Amino acid sequence: MEPIIKIQGVHKYFGTLEALKGVNLEVQKGEVVVIIGPSGSGKSTMLRCINRLEEFDEGSIIVDGIPLDTAENINAVRTEVGMVFQQFNLFPHLSVLENILLAQQIVRKRDRAEAEKVGMALLNKVGIPEKAKYFPGQLSGGQQQRVAIARALAMNPKIMLFDEPTSALDPEMIQEVLDVMVTLAREGMTMVVVSHEMGFARACAHRAILMDAGQIIEEASPDVLFSHPTHERTKAFLSKVLH
Amino acid sequence: MSINPLSALPASVASAARTAKNERFDRWWIMVAAVVALVLLLITLKPDPYKNLFLFVRDGVWRTTYITIISFVLVIVFGLFVGLARLSKHKVIRGIATVYVEIIRGIPMMVQIIYWAFALPAIIQEMGSAWNIPSFMEYRPDGIVMAIFGLTFGYSAYMSEVYRAGIQSISKGQMEAARSLGMTYVQAMRYIIVPQAVRVILPPMGNELITLLKDTALVSAVAIPELTRRGREFSSANFNPIETWTMVALLYLVMTLLATRLVAYLEKMARYER
Repeated sequence: MEPIIKIQGVHKYFGTLEALKGVNLEVQKGEVVVIIGPSGSGKSTMLRCINRLEEFDEGSIIVDGIPLDTAENINAVRTEVGMVFQQFNLFPHLSVLENILLAQQIVRKRDRAEAEKVGMALLNKVGIPEKAKYFPGQLSGGQQQRVAIARALAMNPKIMLFDEPTSALDPEMIQEVLDVMVTLAREGMTMVVVSHEMGFARACAHRAILMDAGQIIEEASPDVLFSHPTHERTKAFLSKVLH
Repeated sequence: MSINPLSALPASVASAARTAKNERFDRWWIMVAAVVALVLLLITLKPDPYKNLFLFVRDGVWRTTYITIISFVLVIVFGLFVGLARLSKHKVIRGIATVYVEIIRGIPMMVQIIYWAFALPAIIQEMGSAWNIPSFMEYRPDGIVMAIFGLTFGYSAYMSEVYRAGIQSISKGQMEAARSLGMTYVQAMRYIIVPQAVRVILPPMGNELITLLKDTALVSAVAIPELTRRGREFSSANFNPIETWTMVALLYLVMTLLATRLVAYLEKMARYER
């Protein structure tokens, strides 16, 4: 089967720093992939290349059959790929519901009634329909991140990218966000998740990947990668993270 | 897309917020009322010269007001485009905007106004003679229009910097979130970045409005009969500089204080929970 995401030989430079050193990765439809690695290893950069928030200098990325080359193609990919950010990035001047409606109306061209139906259904799904009329600043971090997930899902994406979705959250709020992500994974959403939440990875991920210094070092099922890593760098990283 | 920030709050919170804001609001209106009362008092208690003076400069007040309003509306629009151009990815667009801002900032406002009123029409007339274009040779622009152009061109450069700072103050994540949802750059600017930036830039924008209002006095130099010009006319005809310039100063003060209130009101309307 043709992979839904196909990353081939991607290089990315920040000035003279080579952030990605020829990354190859294929993700199948319905697959959940978790990427771990030390900070500065290029895992977020690679994730952000998938919807071209980050330009890459060499190589190619094909998402759902569309190569990331022209402006039209990039926008077409972005409408099919949802993204959840570490800092939530909700639109603070819009109510929770308006946050979820805006792109549906101006990008998907849905009428307001239809968009509202989708929006309220998603707020129910992430468990905070009562916050629809609130502003993002009035919500807790966990609630904001759940709204951010609902906002991305409202576009009916085929793929969801998560860039450290729980790293900015207080510990007691992490679970409520992970619960939503688990539900999504169980429903068969294709997900690429940059996160060190081992529990989530073990429960949902089909594959775990360790990145270091701009390269994919090792990939395996999460149980194998976390318990019996083969590569020295993987062992070194896990020994710092797990305990 | 219009939103009412207060409608989203629970009723008790909203009403408490409203009361708190109103208290601040009221105190400053006292200052406006005091200056207006002083003007009225002078007119009533000493009609000669204050009432005559007021009737004489009244059309100047009107002219000052509409020159300010028209120029400012143009500055808001033109300044936004220059501000966006200053942030453009394209070197040429950014370069042109930067050069424009640097030129404007380097020339006194008064000189700019005089240039628009006297030098520019003369240049066009010369061009008309050189190339034998009759409509150019007889080019006599309306003085007020040229004054408004001068103020607009000058103030747009300053306003573009206000916009630029405001847009840059919005975190990069906002643009990324908008683009990740498939919005185009223009849509992201229109629905996400500019609406937030406007709230940040309202206070400096208010300063620009008040400075512009005061700088309309400069167009008296090109014989536009606005408030300052009318004051000078009255004072030199009646030899009463103290009364004239006291009245003129008070009338400017009423206008600037009202403008300050207007900006404060807009800021209140635009506020939202962070």
